[in-house]
Amino acid sequence: MEQSESIDRDPQLVRTLVCAAQAGDKLAVGDLLDLVTPYVRRLCGPIALDEGADATQETLIMIFRNLGQLRAPEALFGWVRTVAVREAVRIAKRRGAHAELTELPAPGDPQLAVDVADVLRRLSPEHRAILLLREVEGIDEQHAAELLSVAVGTAKSRLSRARNSFRKEWRS
Amino acid sequence: MTDSIWPVAQFDPVRRLRVIAATTPGASIHEIVVGAPLESVWDVAADLEGELPLWLFPDIRSIKVTTPTADSERLVARARGHSGLRARFDVVLRPGWCLMQSRFLLGGMAATEEDGATRFALLGGFCGPLRLLAPAIRPISARLGDRALIRFAERVGQRPR
Repeated sequence: MEQSESIDRDPQLVRTLVCAAQAGDKLAVGDLLDLVTPYVRRLCGPIALDEGADATQETLIMIFRNLGQLRAPEALFGWVRTVAVREAVRIAKRRGAHAELTELPAPGDPQLAVDVADVLRRLSPEHRAILLLREVEGIDEQHAAELLSVAVGTAKSRLSRARNSFRKEWRS
Repeated sequence: MTDSIWPVAQFDPVRRLRVIAATTPGASIHEIVVGAPLESVWDVAADLEGELPLWLFPDIRSIKVTTPTADSERLVARARGHSGLRARFDVVLRPGWCLMQSRFLLGGMAATEEDGATRFALLGGFCGPLRLLAPAIRPISARLGDRALIRFAERVGQRPR
């Protein structure tokens, strides 16, 4: 059901599908879902954790409900990122308390992926979002602050705290 | 720490169909949990010519399916009703997922495993100007959808496993 990253970002394909979906073609909506869903899942997973499926569903509903307002199809994935991160933080905060970290494997251990999720679970949703935006998306503090609707100084301090928390948990 | 070790959110075809339903004015979605494996459930759902007329709506007399392009997931279905209704649907059909769109109608099916059983979802709606009728006939379409799902579950139960 999902396609590769290289196809995901084909600008002409994205433009064609966005225009068709905006005109009411539901098969084009389905094709567009094929393109954006893998990206939304990768954004919502580290932030919303166990609520990732709900966050993905709510993000996609928000995107396709408001697709008619997207004037520049080339801005689709940037817009998707903004909506996904905000929705994932909102839904993760709804959940409340974080679970306790137990034990981490050594780097390179086959169980590493599972334990990275455990480390993330010890961070607040906002910290996870800042960490994801910087470490995976490569977004600077200015853009991270805009995306999360916080001041640049707040984003920097949150990033610093997130990194420190992450290192602390990683080494514990 | 690489990109690949970050957790990825779960997502399944039924949730995907909920997105289509929630973002399509006039569309409604109905769900049922069928006590059968996903493969058995989808065997019935994907049989558009043989099974769909038997469980979807009583008016459907026949459905003929063709594959007009090299893309095996893209089909064309021509439906005929006892009432004289005729409709040509463009269809996307793949395991666990089906979306059908005609000039005036939208249909969809999705299935996913759930605790050893299968959650099956059915979507119905109107396209174009007919979508304005949807609020008025919502109670009727809700009953039709629920009854269709009961017939669907019966068809799954009647299939040899």
